[in-house]
Amino acid sequence: MQAKPTPPGLNLFDSEFAADPQPVFQELRRRCPVGRPAPEAGLVISRYEDVLYALKHPELFSSRMGAAPIGNKRPLIPLQLDPPRQTRYRKLLDPLFSRRKMLELQPHVRDLVNQRIDTFIDRGECEFDREFAVPLPSTVFLRLMGLPQEDLPRFLEMKDGIIRPQERDPARAAEIREESGEQIYAYFEGFLEERSREPRDDLVSQLLEASVEGERLSREEILDISFLLLLGGLDTVTATLGCSIAYLARHPDRRQQVVGNPALLESAVEELLRWETPVVQVPRVVAQDTTLAGTPLRAGDVVTLVLGSADTDDAEFPDAQCVRLERERNRHLAFGGGPHRCLGSHLARMELRTALAEWHRRIPDYAIRPGETPRYTPGIREVVYLPLVWERGARR
Amino acid sequence: MRVRVDPQRCVGHGRCYELAPEVFGEDERGHCRIAGPEVPRELEAQARLGAEACPEGAIAVEEDEGSRSSLA
Repeated sequence: MQAKPTPPGLNLFDSEFAADPQPVFQELRRRCPVGRPAPEAGLVISRYEDVLYALKHPELFSSRMGAAPIGNKRPLIPLQLDPPRQTRYRKLLDPLFSRRKMLELQPHVRDLVNQRIDTFIDRGECEFDREFAVPLPSTVFLRLMGLPQEDLPRFLEMKDGIIRPQERDPARAAEIREESGEQIYAYFEGFLEERSREPRDDLVSQLLEASVEGERLSREEILDISFLLLLGGLDTVTATLGCSIAYLARHPDRRQQVVGNPALLESAVEELLRWETPVVQVPRVVAQDTTLAGTPLRAGDVVTLVLGSADTDDAEFPDAQCVRLERERNRHLAFGGGPHRCLGSHLARMELRTALAEWHRRIPDYAIRPGETPRYTPGIREVVYLPLVWERGARR
Repeated sequence: MRVRVDPQRCVGHGRCYELAPEVFGEDERGHCRIAGPEVPRELEAQARLGAEACPEGAIAVEEDEGSRSSLA
């Protein structure tokens, strides 16, 4: 037995892994369906069947994590609550994020996508992350909440301070996080004040009107919910846009399929979500002693559900290691499952379909700038560096 | 063919009504709703597609001959 730390390639927080995770997942499912991939590593669950089981059994695998390390003092609502408390909030929030509601936003999102593309299409190149994948979900978020688009630069700055503080020193990074957290709270609070005086047709006004079992939401609850929407809804769509475009840039044959047949986009988005699964993993706490796939788990154990590994499991997906954009039966877990199924899944799907449709209509032929390599971050697989080039004089 | 939806299992992925909009509908929360269990013959393929797309296994399909049943 080697006394080596986690073998390279089995470290889920390694950026090399983040760039090419699928072979690692295969290894993980074979060697470690439930357990520690290395003696000092955390517990993982890596097969589809077991990941889905854990997602669907919150009484065994709880989401109560204590405070997250992201500047929030109270549990995030509803993410860090379990049913039945969590269910009360979902009953209120689900209708605000239903597919029907999100489709109403689509024309606006299409405009926002095209405005983005307008800013760089004539240059014949862009850095996709900074110029498209990062700002787009934030512009949509501002629109959804009812916040003014002029606030985008300020908003991006505060968001980055929380999600990715540009600081190596951990103590200083924590300070930046806290400061940005307070700024965001103050910003939302001012806006809440405005909307309670003068409600409009936006999410914040709806939250102010909403009640859980006859009780209005408190200001604190609305702030907590808004904060979570920001944490959960921006980076994830950014990452999915980056992973999808990076994949299609490297696989011109697959890209041709999308360009030649826009109707394919629906299943293509699902297949890219499956294959890339940008939110690689979600944590749970074992709530009571139990056994999963023959492995005993103790109450209090923290386990990582490796969604990306579940989504490339041959036991669930025929031909799982192959990207088939036309795949029909695709029960991927990129949005999780069980009671915590991603609240924003319908918003994300609408954004992704709209963005990829408009992008490929206007920029059908593109490539990664020769000689350059995209850079991925672990955890949430954002492609933080994705330089693209295309023929100038592309379509309007 | 008949379909049954288990409301205890449905969490609102919405795959069924996206892929089989003539068989499955959505309620206010975006959870699956059906008008009734009977599926006309011309929609059977769609119904199967929608049912199989559910990650929660919340939709059961009963084929007429009673030969096939799928509740995951």
